[in-house]
Order: sequence, then C-alpha cells, then structure tokens
Amino acid sequence: MADEVDKILASEEIAPVIEPGHTYASITDKISAIVLTRPTPMLWYVGFGISFVFVLILLFAVSYLLTKGVGIWGINIPVAWGFAIVNFVWWIGIGHAGTLISAILLLLRQKWRNSINRFAEAMTIFAVMCAGLFPLLHLGRPWYFYWLFPYPSTMDIQPQFRSPLVWDVFAVSTYFTVSLLFWYVGLIPDLATLRDRARKRFPRFAYGMLAMGWRGSAVHWHRYETASLLLAGLATPLVVSVHTVVSFDFTIGLVPGWHSTIFPPYFVAGAIYSGFAMVLTLAIPLRKMYGLEDFITLRHLKNMGEVMLATGLIVAYGYMMEGFVSWYSGSPFERYLMFYRMHGAYRYMFWALLLFNIVIPQALWILRVRTSPLALFIIAICVNVGMWLERYVIVVVSLSRDFMPSAWGMYSGTIWDYAVFAGTIGLFLALMFVFVRLLPMISIFEMRGLLHEESEK
Amino acid sequence: MRERLDAIRNRALIVGVVATVLCIIGAFLDARQFLRSYLVAYVFWLGLPLGSLAILMLHHLVGGRWGFIIQRLLEAAVKTFPAMALLFLPFIIGIRRLYPWAAAHAGGAEHVVTGGKAVYLSPAFFTARAVFYFAVWIACSYALTKWSREQDRSEVSFIGRLQNLSGPGLALYGLTSTFSAIDWIMSLEPEWYSTIYGMIFMVSHGMAALAFAIIAARLLADDPPLAGAAAPDQFQDLGNLLLALVMFWAYLSFSQFLIIWAENLSEEIPWYVRRATGGWRYVALLLIIFQFALPFLLLLSRMAKRRARSLAWIALVVLIMHWVDLLWLTAPAFHPSSFYLHWLDLAALIAVGGLWIGAFAHYLGATALLPNDPRFVEALREAEAT
Repeated sequence: MADEVDKILASEEIAPVIEPGHTYASITDKISAIVLTRPTPMLWYVGFGISFVFVLILLFAVSYLLTKGVGIWGINIPVAWGFAIVNFVWWIGIGHAGTLISAILLLLRQKWRNSINRFAEAMTIFAVMCAGLFPLLHLGRPWYFYWLFPYPSTMDIQPQFRSPLVWDVFAVSTYFTVSLLFWYVGLIPDLATLRDRARKRFPRFAYGMLAMGWRGSAVHWHRYETASLLLAGLATPLVVSVHTVVSFDFTIGLVPGWHSTIFPPYFVAGAIYSGFAMVLTLAIPLRKMYGLEDFITLRHLKNMGEVMLATGLIVAYGYMMEGFVSWYSGSPFERYLMFYRMHGAYRYMFWALLLFNIVIPQALWILRVRTSPLALFIIAICVNVGMWLERYVIVVVSLSRDFMPSAWGMYSGTIWDYAVFAGTIGLFLALMFVFVRLLPMISIFEMRGLLHEESEK
Repeated sequence: MRERLDAIRNRALIVGVVATVLCIIGAFLDARQFLRSYLVAYVFWLGLPLGSLAILMLHHLVGGRWGFIIQRLLEAAVKTFPAMALLFLPFIIGIRRLYPWAAAHAGGAEHVVTGGKAVYLSPAFFTARAVFYFAVWIACSYALTKWSREQDRSEVSFIGRLQNLSGPGLALYGLTSTFSAIDWIMSLEPEWYSTIYGMIFMVSHGMAALAFAIIAARLLADDPPLAGAAAPDQFQDLGNLLLALVMFWAYLSFSQFLIIWAENLSEEIPWYVRRATGGWRYVALLLIIFQFALPFLLLLSRMAKRRARSLAWIALVVLIMHWVDLLWLTAPAFHPSSFYLHWLDLAALIAVGGLWIGAFAHYLGATALLPNDPRFVEALREAEAT
C-alpha cells in the first residue's frame, strides 16, 4: 500500500491504468469468470438478501400509498414537495457520473475511464429508474402519468409547455433512453465473449440472443465504433441539460432561495459531484470483493477524487454566491431565508450539509487521502449524505418560509417517506447486485484495447 | 522573431500613446463619458490577462500538448497585470462620476442603496478590494512566470510546484474575478443582482483570452520555433476548447436570461428591458449570431479547426464580439433603451489596446517562445518518432 502511494508520488504520469503482467487472455478470464465460473461469494448473497428486503419494503410502501393516497406522506401545504422531490433530484444527480464518464471522457480520450465506465453506466440507469419513481408517485394518481405527454387527447388538453415540470418529462425520458442504448451497445461485444465462453446451454442461449449475432468482424467493429461515438455525442449535452432542467424547476418557482441564476451550473456540478461519490462508494467495495485492484487501480480512485474536489469547489462557489447575493441584494425575503436556513428549525441539516459537502471533502487536497481507498470511501459517503441534505434544505426550507408569514408551515417526513426512500436505495443496490452477477462489470474488450495501447509504449 | 516582436511593440505603443492623448482630451471635454468608455475598454483588455491566468493554471494541472504551444503567450499576457493595475487608477479618481452608489455615498442620493450594498458598495471598500484582486493576480502571475523561466534554464523540474500553486490559485482566481466583475460592472446598476454573473465573466474572459492566444499563435506559427511544434492537431485541440467555451458562455447567458424572463420580477427584468429594447435589441441579436451561432457552427467543422488560418479568423470574430458583449452589458446602464456609441468608446479601446499589446509584445520577446518542459519535450519526441 505504502509502496503504491510512493510510486504515484514519484511519477503521477506513469502510475498505471492497468497493473502490469496481464495478457489479453488473463483479462478476459478474470472478468468473465466473475459471471461464468467463479462461485458467487457469500457476501453477494448477504448483500443481495438485505437489499431485497428493502425492495419488499418499497413494494409494500408503494402499495399502501396507492390505496391511501399521498396523504400518508409528510407533504402538506405549503410544503407540497417533500421527500419525493428531494429524492428525485438526489437520484437523478447520482446518474450523471455515469454519463460523464462514458460520454465526455470518451470524447476527451481519457484512458482511465475504461475500467469504470461499464458499472458507472449501469449505476446511471438504475439511479434514473429510482429517480423516475418519485415524481410518478408524487402525482397522486400515477396511472394518469401519460397526461404529461402531448398526445392527441380527446379532452383537448395539452401539457403546459411553459412549465419546467413538463420539460423534466422530456429531459428525463430522453436521458434514460440514451443511457440505456449507450450501455447496451457497449455491452454487445462482451455479451458475445460470454456467449462464446459459456458452457451451459441456457447462458449460451441468453447471451447469444443479447449479443445480436456479433462475430467480431472488422465491419462489426467499424460500425460499433461509429455508433458509440455518435451515442457519446448525443449523451454529452444530456450531462448538462437534465440537471439544468431540474434546476429550472426551482429557479422558475419564485420562492425565496429558489429563484437564483447560479442554479443551472451549480446543480450540474452538484450532480457530477454526487455521481462520482456514488461511483466511489460502489467501486471501492466491489474491487475489494472481487479482487479487481489490478483493473480499478489507485490511479482511478485518485482521478475520481480529483473530479470530486473540483466539482465540490464549484458547489461551494454556488453556496457562496447564494449567501453573498442574499446579503448584497437587500431583499428582505432572500435575507430572511438565509437567516432561517442558518438559525431556523432546519439549521442542523444546513450546517451538516456544509460539513459533509464542503468541509470534509477539502481533505482531498492531500494526495495521501486521494490515494487511500478507505479515506475516499468515507468522504464519498459523506458527500452522498451531504448532497441529499442539500436538496432537502433547498426544497423544504424555501417552501416552509415563503413571502407571507401566514402561509408558513413546517415539514417532516413520515415513516412512509423513509420507507419509500430506503426502498429505492434497496432497489438500486439489488439491481447493482444482479448486474455484477449476470453481466461483466468491467468492459472486457476495452481493457484488452487498453492493454494493447499500454504495451505499445 | 525578436526584431519582429520589437517592431510590433513599438508600433503598438505609438498607436496607444496617440490614442491616449485623444482620450485625455476627451476626459477634459466630458469626464463622465470618458470613464464610461474607458471602463469597457479597460475590462476588455484586462480580460485577456485574466483569462490567460486561468487557462495557464488549468494547463499546468492537466498538461496537454495544446497548452505548451500557447504557454508563453499566456505568460506574456499575465505579466501585464502590474501595468494594468496602474491603468486602474482613473476609476478610483473618478469613482463618483462613474458609479451611482458612490455618488449616493457622497450625498447625491440618486439611488437608495440598501442592505448589504450599503456596506459593500462604499468607495473605500471598493478600492481595498481592487488592491486585493490585483495583489492576488500579480502574485500568482509572478510565481508562475518565474518558475516557468527557471525551468527553461535548469535541469530541475518545476512541474510539481507549478501544479501546487495552480490548484489553490484557480480557486482564488474564481473568487477575485467574480467579485471584480460584480464591483466594476454589475454595480453600475446597483439595484440589480444575479448570482451567475461572476461565472459568465470568468467564462467570457477565458473565451477572449483563448481567442487572442489562437490569433497570436497563428501569427507566429509560420516561423520557428512554433512552426515545428504547432501541428494541426494542436490547433484542433485549441479549437475544441474554444468551442467548449463558446457553448459554455451561451449556456450561462441563456440560463440567466431564461430564469429572469420567466419570473418577470420588477427588480430584475428592467436590466433586460434596457438591453432588449431600442437599438440594444439589435446588438443582442448580433451577440446571439456572432458570439454563439456562427462560431458554434464553424467550430463544429474539423477542417476549420485544423487550419490555423481559418481558426484564427473565427477567433477574431469571437474576440471582437466579446467587446460588443461588454459594451452591451455596460453601456445600457447609462443609455437605456437606445443604442449609443461615443467616439471615446473606440479611442479608449485603441488606447488601452495599444499600450497592452505593446507590453505583451515586449514580454513575449523577452523569453523563448516555447517552454522547456520535460512533458513537452517528451511529446515532441514522440511526435517526431511517428
């Protein structure tokens, strides 16, 4: 461990993106064995079991919600956007790291993305699934969700196109579609590898169907490269647009503390921040559990730590500008809101969010912290919590203290709010567990390509 | 090369001094108008060293080959901070004529300055902050250029030191450039505020500085040493970076506009009304087309980016439009809803520009045009091998 750190200290550029001593065959063996031959580790059963319990809780909580209505949640007037919107924004934000890694880092030719892009993309898809649940359930009558689409309705009703909430429908559904396609297209060569290596009949059949007849010919590879570049080009604006639209939900919402022009870039930075925190939260235990330290090296962890530090500073800049302008503006409402955040009923959440999002991650300036998996894991968890608190403070504090004191109120989540939230975390983790069990969590062919490039040097 | 830069310096200084004399005459004729014109010109030219400082620190942190080509151009630009600090003096002297809040402080009470502004917008605090900004910028640029020059001569690598400064340096840069934009331009309309304002300025300074560096690199690229080092690949990278900044500028500007337009609040919307009515409306359209749409479409083309000549023309459009943008941000505060261009606007632009380019050419001639960075030497060797 100490040796590894010294190596990185000595020459950052030379620190490998793949440990030496691997051949094409050993890469393929090692990654495909996790799915095909190696016995499933005990930890997998324990982890999946616990996550599945939470999935059951989610199913129960949602069933109860559908019979009783959203009144079982803590939402009220004025705080009509409680946990549902907080969790929606939190989950959507987490997805952004996957898109950034797979699209923008691909276009920027960053080699270190290769071993983390596959499961980061999977994380994006599962996070967007969890995110999508919340606005749907929050509708009250989720079975009418299709009213949000501009279909030729016999009632002659069209959605309100000036509302960012309608833009959300388009932004999120586009995001999900493109992410899913991107992920699946990237999987095809590896699915063919699994098909070729599978011994049993059913896996061979299933992977064979999914591989869509991939034979690895030059024409196939040529088309694959073109398709993935095009999809990367399509996905790149989505990294920015989705959370920008989410930020418009607030900025075009008039309430003090919401209507702030810095929100779009600061939401996007926050999304990438929380996304990388989630990638680290998943990558560090996974590489340990399956012994993948050769592929997900300290270099990867260090680079992700640096992305977190940079985006975290942009988030801090956003907080600072909000604070400064609320003081500078002279608007009594903006000023009071900032005062209430710091001293009001939700003050613990506000100070905790500053601690988790701003203060603790400053440790990332230190190289030793950036190259210590344990320290990175702890910081990543802190950022996950901090980003959730941030959305809670934005949503709840502003709604509970708007312009008119007679309209002020209080909010707290009920047991059902917590059940749905914990349930989606369970759903997310359960999907991740299924994913690492059934599909190669690291892109086999991209790692082989990386080995080729590295050995040419 | 040295003689050519000296010739440029001398010619620029002559033009700058002549225009400065005109500006001084203008200042005696109409001090108020002089300050208004001088503000736009000053911020335009100051944006070049400011943006250069940010790109330079970013380059030290990420270290691509594109950065080494323009590193010395950026360094020459940031060396002009002390000279620019001197040129800031007219604002301190004329503060009451330029800023309505300063006039209010002096008892003119044209605007009622409330809240934090009463503390923040006071002449003494304003001056103290400006001193602080320049101290930060001069200190950062001094260290960066000094270590880079020392690295040319010695065997020891200064990369670690340059990187250690650049990380915190960028954070400090973010703070100082944000608040300088708020102090010097946003406060012209003290009742208005926008939290994204500083970020828009940072991005447009970066865009202007990169455009200037591309133009300068193009002019120097025909002769050694740049001729050997600046291949189409590097211009393509610079073009991509310019494209990213153009898109980022448009994204931030549009976000600010959409949020304020959709809300239509009485304390915010007048800022846009002043800029979207009368003659200013056409300036705004001009900005949309020539600061965003046209460069965006042209920069999508690989060919346009790989040819240094075409890239430099696009960069020139971006640079000129940056001045138009600053005029559009500033002048409607004095002439709401009707387009207004004074001869002093152009005279001041040429005066500060002549002096600035003179200083830039002087500093550029004083060092080797390419840095002796081990990473760069390595990259050049690799390129030669293939």
